[in-house]
This record gives sequence, C-alpha cells and structure tokens, in this order.
Amino acid sequence: MTGDRLAIEVSRLTKRYGDVTAVRDLSFTVEPGVVTGFLGPNGAGKTTTMRMVTGLVSPTSGTATIGGRPYGRLPRPSRTVGAVFDANAFHPGHTARDHLRVYAAMGGYPDGRITELLDLLGLAEAADRRTRGFSTGMRQRLNLATALLGDPRVLLLDEPGNGLDPEGMSWLRGLLRRLADEGRTVLISSHVLSDLQQLVDDVVVIRRGELVAAGPWSRLAGPPAVLITSPDAGALAAALTASPANGGTAPVVEAVGPDRLRVHGLDAPSVADLAAARGLRVHELVTENTSLEQLFLHLTTDKAATR
Amino acid sequence: MNRLIKAEFRRLLATRMWGGLLLAAALIGGGMIGAMALVGPENFDPPMPGLDTEAGLRSILGILGYTAFVPAAAGTVAVTSEYRHRTAAVTFLFAPRRGQVLAAKLATYTVLGLVYGLILAGSAAAALFNVAAVRGVSLGLPATTVLALLARIAVAMVVYLLIGVGMGALIRNQVAALCVVIGYLYLGEPVLMMIPGVNTLYPILPGGATAALTDFTYLADAMSEQLGSTAVQLLSPAAGALLLAAYALTASAIAVIVPMRRDIT
Repeated sequence: MTGDRLAIEVSRLTKRYGDVTAVRDLSFTVEPGVVTGFLGPNGAGKTTTMRMVTGLVSPTSGTATIGGRPYGRLPRPSRTVGAVFDANAFHPGHTARDHLRVYAAMGGYPDGRITELLDLLGLAEAADRRTRGFSTGMRQRLNLATALLGDPRVLLLDEPGNGLDPEGMSWLRGLLRRLADEGRTVLISSHVLSDLQQLVDDVVVIRRGELVAAGPWSRLAGPPAVLITSPDAGALAAALTASPANGGTAPVVEAVGPDRLRVHGLDAPSVADLAAARGLRVHELVTENTSLEQLFLHLTTDKAATR
Repeated sequence: MNRLIKAEFRRLLATRMWGGLLLAAALIGGGMIGAMALVGPENFDPPMPGLDTEAGLRSILGILGYTAFVPAAAGTVAVTSEYRHRTAAVTFLFAPRRGQVLAAKLATYTVLGLVYGLILAGSAAAALFNVAAVRGVSLGLPATTVLALLARIAVAMVVYLLIGVGMGALIRNQVAALCVVIGYLYLGEPVLMMIPGVNTLYPILPGGATAALTDFTYLADAMSEQLGSTAVQLLSPAAGALLLAAYALTASAIAVIVPMRRDIT
C-alpha cells in the first residue's frame, strides 16, 4: 500500500457500557498527509474511539473505516495501520528483539526490518535486554517500533507522550511530522496540550463522548490577537475602537491590565501604524497565537455551559 | 495461519517458561517415579502393592497421571499472560481474526504438550526400568505394557495442556484462572470423589478419564473403602481416551470462540 493516502472515517459511532455511554453519535474524518490531534479531557472517550477504529472494541452502533474498509476487513492490517495503546504492552521476560520478532512473524516481515526499526528508534543498544528493565521512554519507542513493523500508511497513537522526557517528545514530534509529510495519516491523542501545540495540523475535540469541534487548527484557532503594552493604553483603546478597520468592522479591544491591551481583528503592523499616527507610545507589541490550551478550555468548558 | 504459529513459537521460546516446564517433566517423570520405585510402594505409609504386582505398577503410573495439573497450569499461564502483560491488544491488532490466533496457540501448545509428555514418559520409563533392575525387582507388567501405559499418560498431558489453554482464554485473569485450574485438578476432583453420590460422576470427569487410561483404580478404591461407599467403576481405557479427547476439543472450542467478540480494553 506504499504511497496510498488513506483517511479514517468515523461515522455515527456509539459505544454504551450498560447505562454509561462512552461515545455518542461521533462522526469525524482524519485526513492523510497531516497530523491530527485527538483532544479531550480524561474520560472523554478518546481511547474507546481509537479502540473501535482498530476493531479491539466493537461499537454499539455506527462504523469506523480506514481507507474505506473496517479494520477487520483490511487484508493485512499491520501493513495499513500501526497503533499504540498501552505504554506497557510487553512480556517482561522478552527482550526488545524477542518482542519485535513475535510480531514480525505475525505480520510476515523479515528480520531485517527489526534491525532497521531498532536503529530508527534508537533501541539498538537495548535490543537484547529484557523489557522489564525498560524506562517509560524506551517502552514508548518499542511500542512505536512494533507499530511501524509493517511500514503502515496510518498511525494511531494513544497518549504517546506519557512518560517521554522533553528530548523524547521533540524526537517524537520530528518523527510524526516526517511520517505525515510522506502522506501518511497520523492520529494522536493527548491530554497534554503543550505536547501537541507545535505538532498538529488538524484537531478533533471531544467531550463526554461527543464531538465538540473538528477541523484544521488554523481555522479553529482564528486569526492571532495582538498584545500591546502602552502607558497610553486608554487613549490607544479609544483610537482602536473608533478606527474603521479592515473589512469595515472595528477591532475588539480587551483591557488585560492597567497598561496592557489585547486586540482582536487587527494585525500588528496596523496597530503600530495607528499608534504612530496618533503619537501614542507603544512599549511592546506581540502577535499572540491562540494556544491549543485556550481553544481547548474554551471548547470543553464554555461551550458546555451554553448547551 | 502459518505466520501465527511461527509467531506463537517465537513467543513461547523467548521466555524461560518452556525450559522450566520441560525440566519439570524430567523431574516429575524421572525424579518422582524414580524415588517412588526406589523406596518401593510396599514401604509407603499406608503400604501399597509392590512394583512386582500389576496393581502396584498401575498405581505408580496413575500417580504420574495425577501430575497433569502441571501442563494444565502451563497452558493457562501461556494464554493469560497475553492479558496480564497487555499484549493481547497488540496481538489482535496484528491478527484481527482472533479465533485464528487462539488456534495457532493451540497448535503450538499441542507440540509443547507432546514434548512434555514424551519427556515425562521417557524419563519415567528410564527411572522405572533402571531402579527395578538395580533393586532386582521384576515388574508386575511386561515392559511393552508399561511403555504403552506411559504413552497414554503422555497423550493425556497434551489434553490437559489444551484444557489449561481453554480455561485461560475463558477466564483471562491469570491468578483466577490458575486457582481454578490447579484448584480443580489438584484438590477439586479428589474432594468430589469423597462426596457420596457425586463420586459416581468421577469416571466422566477429566481425572476419572485419565485414571481409566491406565486403569488406575487404587486411589478411588481406597477412598470408597474408607468411606464405605460402593467402588467407583472407571470407564474402559478406550472410552476414557475418547472422553479426554472430547474435553480437549471442548477446551479448544472455548479458546477459539470465546475471545472473538469480547472488547479488549
């Protein structure tokens, strides 16, 4: 399936455990060629959804397909999808190489692929040590190596950042970016938003098993705001609000301190030009991108309150 | 399917479990039988018929059949360790047809059970013949009959290992599954034999069927005598063998069918 671009389609997926509905009527698409962040508070249903996509959990209703087929109908699933769920899914008495040999045999991959992956994931030195002595970071790398055995076009990672140190996280971001750039589909769930901030192109946000938002991160985040520090904050605010900005709508000005303003709807050069034209002093001018965390809190708390 | 069997062999051979199990076979077969033959059943407390009698020889071999809980426990450990160490999810990601995974495990463990049974029977035969020669005892049955009985015990070990695999796939929790398997085979059946009425079921339980293979009635007879109940009538060796095969098939069917629809969380 080399080169294939396979989307994950989740359609009206529902999972009930007795009286508890873990996932409710959930639909979204994960596009190839980008990294998609799957976000939601703990217990939102992220893991259950990903397990349904991979056939480990059967949905109460609805469907999930990968490149148009349900997981169980994929001819050689490990060649199409690589998935990581548990950080610690090894027999403690197996070495890293033993573990990979079991799954290489299962997927029909040559032993050379094992050596390749041990090198790629920086596990070559630990290859013949039993996994019981592995650090969390090494376990995550071995999980990834297992998922990548079949060189899959789709990658699903459930909380892969857990237990990774900053260096490990940065390495993981680099790897996932490269995989997405090769046209693969990457879905990564996390509740540590700062881990994903610099990585994700698209986001899917769920809360209590229901979809809250989905789409390209840049669209959901909206245009950046401008943060201004000025001893003439009051006068500047008045000037900004009165200015007929781009498109005719006046910018929204928010006072965030005695001498600090946040301006939405006007870019930094326009703010600076306006201040200069009015002879108002500007000590600091910063373009402020919405952080994933802000968006997330906005979507999962505010929106819920208005429902 | 071949890939899955290859994977299961790799999984098995990468741990120390198989080595330990085969060592146990040699210790139980050679060690235990050797020690019992050396002491002589006539010197047991209470005394049993000697090795020079058919009953004595059958009893010793019957006790060997009674150690079948060891391979059963090994089968249970093998299957439940996938759940305990959470590799079941990875396995079912690589092979979503779960029944095939369990079938591959059954095939792999049939081979392990055969090797176990051969080592057990072989070492027991070696111990028995050598000790008898050293002690100058002529065995109560011809050597070919002894070997045939040991071969039946070897096959029974395969059956028990598969029963262990089936129970492990059914229960999944390693400790609970081990308690059930060892508890039943080691303690449960002998206790059932003591309950009047229920003991009439003994011939159709796995232990009774195994005892039928070697016509090992000494234990059952001793208990009936003690309790004053009527003697338990074991099945014929052939019927016992058929019944054991049925148990193995049932356990295998459980192992293959039960995990199919269950959620792996």
